[in-house]
Amino acid sequence: MLQRERIPLQLIFLQAALVVAWCFTDVETGPGAGVSTQPNGDRFKIEGRAIVPGIKTQDWVSTARVLVEGEEYVGFLRTDGSFAVNDVPSGSYVVEVVTPTYRFEPVRVDITTKGKMRARLVNYIKTSEVIRQPYPLQIRASGPHSYFMKRETWGWTDFLMNPMKDVYSTKKMMLVMMMVLPLLIIVLLPKVVNTNDPEMRKEMEQSMNMLNPNPELPDVSELMTKLFSGSKGSSKAGSSSKGTRPAAKRR
Amino acid sequence: MAKLILLWLKCVVLWAIVEAVFEDQVGKFDWRQQYVGKVRFSHFDTHVQSSKKVLVATERNVFAALNTRTGELFWRHVDKTGSEGNIDALLQHGQDAVLVVGNGRLLRSWEINVGGLNWEVVLDSGSFQSACLVGQQDMVKHVAVLKKTAISVHYLSNGHQKWIENLPETETVDYQAVYSDGNGEVYVLGVVPHSHIAIVVYSMEDGEIIKQMSVEAPWLYNIQASCVVVGQGMLTCVDSAGVSFYMLDLHLQLQMTQVPLQSLALEVDPGFHPVLLSHQPNPARQPLSEFFLQLGPDHYQLLQLNNGQIAAMRDFKPALLVSFATTGEKTVAAVMSPKNKTACSVNLFSAETGRRLLDTTLIVNMDPNGGKPEKLYVQAFLKKDDSVGYRAMVQTEDHTLTFIQQPGRVMWTREEALSDVVTMEMVDLPLTGTQAELEGEFGKKAAIQDGLMSMVMKRLSSQLILLQAWIGHLWKLFYDARKPRSQVKNDVTIENLSRDEFNLQKMMVMVTASGKLFGIDSKTGGILWRHYLHNVPPNAAFKLMVQRTTAHFPHPPQCTLLIKDKDTGLGTLHVFNPIFGKKSHVTPPALPQPILQSLMLPLMDQDYAKVLLLVDDQYKVSAFPSTKNVLQQLQEMAASIFFYLVDSSQGRLSGYRLRTDLSTEQIWEVIIPPEVQKIVSVKGKRPNEHVHSQGRVMGDRSVLYKYLNPNLLAVVTESTDLHQERSFIGILLIDGVTGRIIHEAIQRKARGPVHVVHSENWVVYEYWSTKSRRNEFSVIELYEGMELYNSTVFSSLDRPHAPQVLQQSYIFPSSISTMEATLTEKGITSRHLLIGLPSGGILSLPKMFLDPRRPEIVSEQSREENLIPYAPELLIRTEWFINYNQTVSRVRGIYTAPSGLESTCLVVAYGLDIYQTRVYPSKQFDVLKDDYDYMLISSVLFALFFATMISKRLAEVKLLNRAWR
Repeated sequence: MLQRERIPLQLIFLQAALVVAWCFTDVETGPGAGVSTQPNGDRFKIEGRAIVPGIKTQDWVSTARVLVEGEEYVGFLRTDGSFAVNDVPSGSYVVEVVTPTYRFEPVRVDITTKGKMRARLVNYIKTSEVIRQPYPLQIRASGPHSYFMKRETWGWTDFLMNPMKDVYSTKKMMLVMMMVLPLLIIVLLPKVVNTNDPEMRKEMEQSMNMLNPNPELPDVSELMTKLFSGSKGSSKAGSSSKGTRPAAKRR
Repeated sequence: MAKLILLWLKCVVLWAIVEAVFEDQVGKFDWRQQYVGKVRFSHFDTHVQSSKKVLVATERNVFAALNTRTGELFWRHVDKTGSEGNIDALLQHGQDAVLVVGNGRLLRSWEINVGGLNWEVVLDSGSFQSACLVGQQDMVKHVAVLKKTAISVHYLSNGHQKWIENLPETETVDYQAVYSDGNGEVYVLGVVPHSHIAIVVYSMEDGEIIKQMSVEAPWLYNIQASCVVVGQGMLTCVDSAGVSFYMLDLHLQLQMTQVPLQSLALEVDPGFHPVLLSHQPNPARQPLSEFFLQLGPDHYQLLQLNNGQIAAMRDFKPALLVSFATTGEKTVAAVMSPKNKTACSVNLFSAETGRRLLDTTLIVNMDPNGGKPEKLYVQAFLKKDDSVGYRAMVQTEDHTLTFIQQPGRVMWTREEALSDVVTMEMVDLPLTGTQAELEGEFGKKAAIQDGLMSMVMKRLSSQLILLQAWIGHLWKLFYDARKPRSQVKNDVTIENLSRDEFNLQKMMVMVTASGKLFGIDSKTGGILWRHYLHNVPPNAAFKLMVQRTTAHFPHPPQCTLLIKDKDTGLGTLHVFNPIFGKKSHVTPPALPQPILQSLMLPLMDQDYAKVLLLVDDQYKVSAFPSTKNVLQQLQEMAASIFFYLVDSSQGRLSGYRLRTDLSTEQIWEVIIPPEVQKIVSVKGKRPNEHVHSQGRVMGDRSVLYKYLNPNLLAVVTESTDLHQERSFIGILLIDGVTGRIIHEAIQRKARGPVHVVHSENWVVYEYWSTKSRRNEFSVIELYEGMELYNSTVFSSLDRPHAPQVLQQSYIFPSSISTMEATLTEKGITSRHLLIGLPSGGILSLPKMFLDPRRPEIVSEQSREENLIPYAPELLIRTEWFINYNQTVSRVRGIYTAPSGLESTCLVVAYGLDIYQTRVYPSKQFDVLKDDYDYMLISSVLFALFFATMISKRLAEVKLLNRAWR
């Protein structure tokens, strides 16, 4: 009886051992495969130099860092602007010099398992494209970072020279239009258009009616198109309404 | 061509919409505070007499120079986190500072004036033991680094290795210390525990072993803990078991002489391991022959070694801390002793004689809410009359650095605990007395009790008070306007704190890993209160909850901090007032069981405190506060209270429902096999988030309704297989009430770290694509479709239709540190993503760029909808950095809070630094901008006014003329 029971028990043991072994191999393959990209801890050095034209190195090196692939490896700049990032395994990395003041272009550095280095332009879309860069790296600042927008200062000349600079000036322009347009219409229109012509007068009345606030009109843009087609004859009115159109739409 | 132009135009428009900082706004409503972390090593720069630098190397792998006058940073270098950037040793000589980094992997030399690197060399592998500067004939030119198996000597000027030698008998001997006193020899001291000391003497010239010997020392097991070198090369050790000194002359090396402590009339406190402290002012010379022996936690003894004889010089009891300092040829000992409960005093003693120096007392006031002093650093200098003056830097156990000048003036304080903020909340400030009075006027009780007349009188009096306050404010404005700008100080104290008009100023409650809590004024960055919690376990997890806001006057606001030991799971609650930082007199319940989950319910007790539910490991629920009222409400609500638990080690995600007797029942369970993938994060939506619009208007004027499920959870998993071909990340959208899987997505050939933001009807996540070696963003948006199933109320239990899922991915040209979405009062303002970058910038990326409906081919409809055409790469513009050049190092979290203005979102980024600012994702549409052109508007109005006047007059004249005609 005892003997009989032992056999299945042994079988279960065997099975358990198998399962354990299977687990072990499974665990082994995971990290083992992961490590295989970094064979036996060969570590290399990425070297280069960062240059800010026209600025003494001691004025900016204390705020600068060299970041390799985010913050995975960090290097610091020597007082002459050169740098070396130690202890980097083989692979492909984006090397960046980071300062709060100056802008440096990132460079991709490929390191083979034997330690051969190659630098190329970073291209995130065509990742395999190779445009060689000098190695040891020569990274030249492309100027200071521009963090700020310019406050647009507004003068009468701006209005005359470059009225459609951005949304802001358009708004302001509208204000001015509000002042100037009626004046134009009142003063210039009677002189340009022959008011004695009955056909013209009818057309004018029509367009004036349209300008009146009317709840039936569904859309401003529609009104504009109507105004366009309606007042084709009077070139002046047409051109002046053109000015207000984009502004009104943006409201 | 026309399309191109249109596209360009669109870009121009977008460009204008996206916000940026204007240069004149710098510092107007933002501030930054820079920290370094808990100080591990510190040296005062002494090579120039008038130097203002103190060098600090910290536990957060930062090496920095602080200004001793102001406490500000001259420069700071932030290395990698973790053991690879760990600073093992800091040695300073002249204007060079040598650091051993990463367990002896790197040797770096810094130029301390500029803050640039002199050189960096990689050392051979082997774990670091000790390092020292080596001098010869009064010149220090080398540095010696001792590792487990080898010793190497490097030139200080360029880092080149002079020689490296393997140590003998490394299998048995544990080499621990290296010593040199300028005679051309380097002593390496090792120990075979409980057997003997091994001493190897190397020649400085070529690394040849001059002498090698071993001395019996069966009581010794750690040299660095119990031995120092004193005077003319006398190795002095103290043995706590045998209660005696052992001395060994390193030059003669005969035998250890034993001096019982009793013969010097010294007695060690029971259970205390005595510690020795010596001082070597110049590495090229011998150490002082005076040294300190610590006999108890507050008991020190100054001793002198004279011709091989130890003599007691002076006894210090009680003394908390001692330190040596040298200036010129003079060396002094500073002793800190407690004065009364809230203050300590520091006194200077001459090291040679042990006599107290006159007029050298310095009073250190201790913060009752702070920690005990831990370290004392003394900067000594010679005064004009050749007497010694000094300043002291005191480090306390709550990581605070205080720099004090005689006779007790605090020059600066740095709260280095803030370098490790774990979690934070922003709390509305309370109303002022007058505002509260006004509010109280309309209280219910008042209206019933009083008649009409008294109400009128009350109204009049409160109006009078308002008028008075307004006049006072005007007067202050007028008074301040006359003073130059720099002199105007807006001192914010706890007393005059009050809510501003738009609720833009708030109290930032910050919880740090050290267990110190801070209350910071969000407008100025001033620390208004601090509270150090003792007995916080070192690996604690924190969760901060606001139980009662300031809106329930006269009840004080109340915050609750849940502190949980990660190992045992046991938690404690700390209840406090977030405005004053004081511990509340509400006693929190004791938590005898490990806590699995905590949740804040929208229920309130009769005192307007929200109910906090705590689930323990027996799946029993306890409530805080647990009054009768609360329990009754809970019973009523129980059927609709659901919660979920995550067990990432077993890959189990389970949902529970509350029963009326406060037990729980499991209603769903999702198993994610932990052998294949592990749960990395589970993100719900923020409870205080509002969504204004239910849908999106399409180009053809139809409406696409959003799927706004408040119970939706985004679960992120990473594969356990890290091979770059097989690794993947998964994202699961699960309904937290029913356990229904709404959507599942797998990103192949991708790995973490994954950053997720979950809000409204979208989830944005970022991961590393192993195939293309780049960071990618992906966005998932959920829509109900063209019709809303039940528009009045959302119920997870009644949603028959699965939502439509849209997804799109983009390339992001940088890795990211953290990510958060902006949050506003009503959710009308468009959303931006705030992305913390490793470079220190905080990018404000409009959500509009992460929209799965971005079309690849532009159509009339998509243009109508203002969709940006799809482009694979997202751009990083420095104009979008909300913190311009005020970089935030190692940003770890971004906290967003709504303000009283719909357009404005308050942002705090924390990491090593803290940065606070405001963002306007849709520009300031509800207030006048600060560059509003009052001049132009008023001039136009006046011009119009006069134009009408004139034209009216002209018209009248014309009419009159016509009438005459």
